Amino acid sequence: MDFDALINGLDRHTLDGITRGSIYALVALGYTMVYGVMKLINFAHSEVFMVGTWATLGTYTLIGASSGMGVGMIIGATVLALLAAMLASAGTALAVERIAYRPLRKKGAPPLIFLITGIGCSMVLVETFGQVLKVFFGPPFGRVLVNVPAVLPTKVVFTIPGIDLAITNTRIIIIFGAIAMMVALDFFVNKSRLGRGVRAVAQDPDTASLMGVNQDRVIMLVFVLGGAMAGVAALLFTIQYDSTKFDIGFIIGVKAFTAAVLGGIGNLRGALIGGLVLGVVEVYASTVWDSSWADVTAFVVLVLVLMFRPTGLLGESLGKARA
Amino acid sequence: MLLELNDAVLNYGKIQALHGISVEVAEGEVVSLIGANGAGKTSTMRALSGVRGLAAGSVVFDGEDVTKLRADQRLRKGLVLCPEGRGIFPGMTVTENLNMGAYTRKDKAAIEEDYDRVFGLFPRLLERKKQVAGTMSGGEQQMLAIGRALMSRPKLLMLDEPSMGLAPMLIQQIFDIITEISQQGTTILVVEQNAKQALSRSDRAYVLETGRIVKTGTGSELLDDPSVREAYLGVA
Repeated sequence: MDFDALINGLDRHTLDGITRGSIYALVALGYTMVYGVMKLINFAHSEVFMVGTWATLGTYTLIGASSGMGVGMIIGATVLALLAAMLASAGTALAVERIAYRPLRKKGAPPLIFLITGIGCSMVLVETFGQVLKVFFGPPFGRVLVNVPAVLPTKVVFTIPGIDLAITNTRIIIIFGAIAMMVALDFFVNKSRLGRGVRAVAQDPDTASLMGVNQDRVIMLVFVLGGAMAGVAALLFTIQYDSTKFDIGFIIGVKAFTAAVLGGIGNLRGALIGGLVLGVVEVYASTVWDSSWADVTAFVVLVLVLMFRPTGLLGESLGKARA
Repeated sequence: MLLELNDAVLNYGKIQALHGISVEVAEGEVVSLIGANGAGKTSTMRALSGVRGLAAGSVVFDGEDVTKLRADQRLRKGLVLCPEGRGIFPGMTVTENLNMGAYTRKDKAAIEEDYDRVFGLFPRLLERKKQVAGTMSGGEQQMLAIGRALMSRPKLLMLDEPSMGLAPMLIQQIFDIITEISQQGTTILVVEQNAKQALSRSDRAYVLETGRIVKTGTGSELLDDPSVREAYLGVA
């Protein structure tokens, strides 16, 4: 145990944790929104994220982006990759809903069937990138780690005086990018007409339809929004880690799902809090012990929180607490 | 006829809740559907509003067969249900709930008029505009539910047990308002356990027993009917 390392570098480790947590939080939104309106854990959501990372790589490859480009090119390539990742992830999420879940809903299938279907979709997507596409196109598809060009070079933008904490451009983009997306989503759900429809379905689906809310539309909207957020997370992930893999979704998915439960599943702000707490706890644990302890500690924290607050840190419910 | 329900059969799994009932409502009428618990009143409302599909029979509204339409599509045609147990959105404020009533509408100016109309009918709601609906009293929630239904400008307003769980004085008040809504030109179909109130306020009424219509007539005819008096009004 090395508490000195944690204390001495507390500022740096906290920053690391928040960076990691921001990505968890963005992915967590997809779990939490779908749960909010359908009371369903969408196990295919991890792969919605994975597809986004490949879309980023694909965009860079298509436009021939690499590290060491000019500022204009960097911004252009990154924005294109962001749009591609959002589109690919949202499209994947929508496809899963239309092809897999909707037919089940129309038949009134029991909840377990939805869970198994989600897991099935997840496997299909993983193997598409790990096997199927490799057969047709060869590398980079396959079962190995793939490098994503570091289009955006990491640079120290400024140093916080006194504690000597270096703030890099990638950190700023990841943390503020994630928070900006969440604020926008929160605003949309709480203030817009469509957002009101989403909250109405979350609170009472039958009454919502009696008010003229088309449930299928709301469900599609929720999958698309959650997917788009996972797409943003995918781009930020490649900026931070410069790589992807066919099964990258699994571990991020488990963490993001944990973050959603930790914050209170169904609660948008809970996803943010849960993600950040989880990220920070993981980094602290890997500093005090080593990185193999990160997951154990994260889940111990989850169990402890749920023992005292079974509905998570902020409690269940989309948008606002149930009275 | 504004609304016709023809030989409706509705099932919950293997249990048949409605055994082929027919109900008609003409424009401008106040029609009530009375019956004991489990007689099929709420099932009838669910079938009419589209929350639940029919196994057989049809729903014709405003000259159009709406049997296959979903609840949200029927609402757009002006067939609006104010659901049982108030069915307000507990996590939303009074204003947000009323906004939900106008969810499908885009005519801003007319929506403003309807706010004024609702607040005119229920001054209480104006005082509580910003309150979260789940924290209001039962009577206030019922007023909100009716107000919200009016916000969608119904041609036919269906009310499912508006008096449920309310004190006698409040019941009186709610029915006064229902009468007022009718006088303002909205056709009304109301389902009630409180048969006395419902019959005395209705042009016509149907008596429902175990999923079948057993009697029909004008409100005053049924009020004077010995068997109705015995079964639903507690007088021999």
